[in-house]
Amino acid sequence: MKKYLSPFICGFGAGVLQIVPVAKSFSCCFIIPLAAFISLVLDQRASNNFGKIEMRKALLFGALTGLYAAVFGSFFDVFITLITKNNDVIALFPELQKMVSSFPVNLEIQKEVLRLFEGVRNDILTYGFSPLYTLSVVINNFVVNTLFGIVGGLVGAQIINRRNQNPVE
Amino acid sequence: MKFRFRIIVFSLLLIWFLGIFFQYFIKLDDRLLFLYPIINKSYSLVCHQNDNKLISFSGIHSLICARCTGIYAGLLAASFVSLFINFKSPVRLKLFVLLSLPMLADVILYSFGIYNYSKTIAFVTGILFGSVGFSYFYTSIKELFAEIHIRK
Repeated sequence: MKKYLSPFICGFGAGVLQIVPVAKSFSCCFIIPLAAFISLVLDQRASNNFGKIEMRKALLFGALTGLYAAVFGSFFDVFITLITKNNDVIALFPELQKMVSSFPVNLEIQKEVLRLFEGVRNDILTYGFSPLYTLSVVINNFVVNTLFGIVGGLVGAQIINRRNQNPVE
Repeated sequence: MKFRFRIIVFSLLLIWFLGIFFQYFIKLDDRLLFLYPIINKSYSLVCHQNDNKLISFSGIHSLICARCTGIYAGLLAASFVSLFINFKSPVRLKLFVLLSLPMLADVILYSFGIYNYSKTIAFVTGILFGSVGFSYFYTSIKELFAEIHIRK
């Protein structure tokens, strides 16, 4: 476990930052890749080993950072929704309604989509929990965060290796 | 890196990039409307999706901001080039930093109100960063395959 402490810490941080709107507007798509990069830097400092990072290790650290971010991000998202009975689905529902209605698509499909999301919205407002919303959050977080973590880990390792090779560059 | 892997990388980036304009595809097939909120949620994980910063054209808008769209456009363009040119090593770190600076400067300057947000500037600076960033991603994948090959 100690060996993979840095992905855990960075994944936790990224998971928390992902649900903070202000932090998100600044860091945008860099939260997870940056977390993977920092996890590699922290690992090098903790082990005092500034040698070349193997890409297999970078891949593993990136994937783990993304996975931890997905676990914590999903947990906080679902937990906060449960307590507050409010989330971005509720906030954006009027906008979604307007947008769906403006699409030049079949009226039946429009109604069906709106009914589906009204169900999700009502579940959240009443119970603070919607199985469909939770499922979409969990799947999205796991797929997207893991992929972005891997990319961040690989690119991060490459940057660290280049920097260690040419410190004066 | 073998050509088929380069094709896979390019295809994955292309799918991700096309997903940014998912609203356009709903016009082609009504049933895609069911997927819209889920796809939108996926992209919301990697972008703030601020309304004023989205790229809009003919009544539809992108699912991510102009800067992120630029970054992915840069990645896609560089991966397209990589189909024909096999990059030997990533660009120098100095060049990477140099081409990332316009994006960083843009974020800082408009955040401090020096000038108003411009989608064009955000998009162009994103392209610069994305295209140079791809060389690092590409070299990493190449090294990863080499490591796997050696272990075999």
